[in-house]
Amino acid sequence: MSAHRYRVVVEGELGPRYASAFDGMTLSAHDGRTEIMGPIVDPSHLHGLLDRIAGLGLTVHSLTPLDTEDAQAEAPTHTQPAGVIDYDPGANAKGPT
Amino acid sequence: MIEPKLMLPRVHAGMLRRTRLLEMLDDHGASALTVLDAGVGYGKTTLVRSWCIERSEPVIWMTLDPADDDPVRLWTHLATAVDRLGQGVGARALRRLGVRGVQVETAIDELMNGLVAYGGPVTIVLDDLHAVRSETSLGSIGHAIERLPAGARLVVSTRSDPAVGLAKLRASRALIEVRARELAFTVDEAQELFIREGIQLSGEGVDLLVERTEGWPAGLYLAALWLRDLDDPDERVRAFAGSARHVGDYLTAEVLTALPAEIRDFLVQTSVLGRFTPELCDAVLGREDSGAVLAELARSNMFLVALDARPQWYRYHHLFGELLQLELGREAARELRRRAAEWCRAQGLIEDAIEYAATAGDAESVAELLLETHLQFIRGGRAGQFLGWVRWLPHELLVEHPLLPAAGAAAAGLLARPEVEVRRLLAVSERSRRERPQTWSPYVEAVVELTRAEVIEGGDVGAAAEHARRAVAATRAGVDVLSVGALATLSQARFFAGDLDESRRIAVQAIERPEAPDVPEGYVGSLGLLALVDGEQGRNDSAERTAREAIGFARRHFQADAWVASLAHLGLALACLATGRPDEAEREALRGEQLRRSHQPTVGHAHALLVLAQVRVARSRLALAASDLKRARAMIEEFPNAGRLPAIASTVEQDLTVARANVGNGRVAENPSEAELAVLRCLATGLSRREIGARLYISLNTVKTHNRELYRKLGATSRAEAVARAEALGLLERTESPG
Repeated sequence: MSAHRYRVVVEGELGPRYASAFDGMTLSAHDGRTEIMGPIVDPSHLHGLLDRIAGLGLTVHSLTPLDTEDAQAEAPTHTQPAGVIDYDPGANAKGPT
Repeated sequence: MIEPKLMLPRVHAGMLRRTRLLEMLDDHGASALTVLDAGVGYGKTTLVRSWCIERSEPVIWMTLDPADDDPVRLWTHLATAVDRLGQGVGARALRRLGVRGVQVETAIDELMNGLVAYGGPVTIVLDDLHAVRSETSLGSIGHAIERLPAGARLVVSTRSDPAVGLAKLRASRALIEVRARELAFTVDEAQELFIREGIQLSGEGVDLLVERTEGWPAGLYLAALWLRDLDDPDERVRAFAGSARHVGDYLTAEVLTALPAEIRDFLVQTSVLGRFTPELCDAVLGREDSGAVLAELARSNMFLVALDARPQWYRYHHLFGELLQLELGREAARELRRRAAEWCRAQGLIEDAIEYAATAGDAESVAELLLETHLQFIRGGRAGQFLGWVRWLPHELLVEHPLLPAAGAAAAGLLARPEVEVRRLLAVSERSRRERPQTWSPYVEAVVELTRAEVIEGGDVGAAAEHARRAVAATRAGVDVLSVGALATLSQARFFAGDLDESRRIAVQAIERPEAPDVPEGYVGSLGLLALVDGEQGRNDSAERTAREAIGFARRHFQADAWVASLAHLGLALACLATGRPDEAEREALRGEQLRRSHQPTVGHAHALLVLAQVRVARSRLALAASDLKRARAMIEEFPNAGRLPAIASTVEQDLTVARANVGNGRVAENPSEAELAVLRCLATGLSRREIGARLYISLNTVKTHNRELYRKLGATSRAEAVARAEALGLLERTESPG
């Protein structure tokens, strides 16, 4: 079965240390939320990801499957390789306001 | 040492007593089930634990983990815990669970019967139910919920709604639910927490914190740890409230930063350990003072949970453990887990060692550990776990070590798994034999041939005997450890094939091997075969002595009647029958038959049914005997080669025909009425006529009238004769079992 890309948005901006929790996924934090994006190979993989999210005390805001073309189109231009986080510590110290 | 699964967590002195929630739990009315259902960090475990401390009734606590997807493992642990209530509450359930291929529901029914007999109130807590995913395990819990006796309560904690039929319970108001909405801290509760911790925070500050954390208890406890050593808590809380960062992320970072570097490193590095003792920490970290560090942490912080056990065990709060692990690089985590696996292995904590190695992704070590310990698992009643790990291993490793798929196939056979699964595993080891002949050994050969004899060729007595012969030949090439098992299997195959003298000779060989008692299944099986042959050939004293030895040995070793003792019970039945004790014979034959039951028809079960039928014919319980015979015949027809079973079936059939002729060709002059039958059933129990009248609410004279009519219709002249004829005609049979 071929992988599909998914975007899971969780509440709260996550620091870079969370990257190690989501192997093979890209994290980007902005506007009080964090997007976790990457390929999901099958339903067990997706459930594993959701378990991981729950185990870290995170709340899912939305879950979106992105099919291959959309994934290309929707992927933010600043997406970085797997495991690397797009994170701006300055943005979090004082909040989004 | 008690099982870590059954250890109770201690409640830290700093935890808040949450009166409103404790009252919710107390006030359960007639609800059998209470579910605490909320995400990680909502204080579910802490709440249930502090509630349990205040209970007067006994509390049974079990923490579930993913291995409980095997319902037999789950219920064996739970029945063991329940059994500690005393009075043998769990004994019958445990006995059922010891039978291979058991339907767990029957064991659960026994456990519920045990609780009914126990009578007193009892609370059973299943913590972390979300760890269980399999439908069979969740279904078995649902089955138990429906049958909980009045005095028993089940309390479960979970992160997600379990599939145990909640909707139905909700509708019938038989369910108490405590969810995130209730578990979240109120402003008052948060205020109380901060005052107790001596934190000088304004009312506005408390409001801000509760709003920012949405009352999430883990967030507030972390906030308390963070703020208690700060001079300007209000200012810091305002900064936190203005941040968009995730609550757990922000607060953990703050708490960890404030800790001395040495303590922080200790926490981060030990976070890979699920449950740990100071010794395990010492071994993993290469230090000697973990005991002191842990004692101090357990005193001052709320994220380290001490478990009620000696020696002292600890675990981190689930959320905190996860967050700590984020600080650790993947390579470092792997190395720490490898060291933990090594320590556990040296301590004989093999399951933990395998788990650590598996989490470290170290399949090689898992394979190595399984190769080393496969006999312990398979002979120690943990074939299910062994099979689970074999399935987890990558295919290439299975091909590299053909013993693993071969032993996996043996385990699958022992668990009465579908034959296709056994075949698939055997096929992997066959592939290895072709592709890597250097990995093959007489040992692997013996395991494969034994599995073929016992499982795959189970319905072909000739083929089974041939495979068993090859297994014995392989063990002669220096695989002593499997000799007893191979000889027992060969002896059984010869027995079913009809070569009784040869069967007996081989059984004796197995029994006389010096290591025989160390191989309980093979030993008990061989003793049983010896008893059976002696029973069939009229050596009654020897048969009875040997059978009792086998049954006693099995009870001592397996703490229950194991299925391997089936043959001994059948041998004992024959001996009892030949020495004029038909009641005892029937009890033993029925026990032997029950122990042989499994999902699939087997030659052994068909044979047990025939022995039972034979005994029942002798007791004139002809209708039951006919039904046993019919079931055995249905199985025999499916077997490619059932050896001597068709011949035994014919003999039983002839005996049955003769017995039927003796009771008047199975007919009565006139059928007894319902009222007469009621009296007849009482006659069979040995009640006096006066007692029968009292029980049936009829006069003594009416009893006498019915009695007279019964004698006439059955052509009997005494109570014993009437009962015997009625039994033979199947008039008494409401239930199958005599006890």
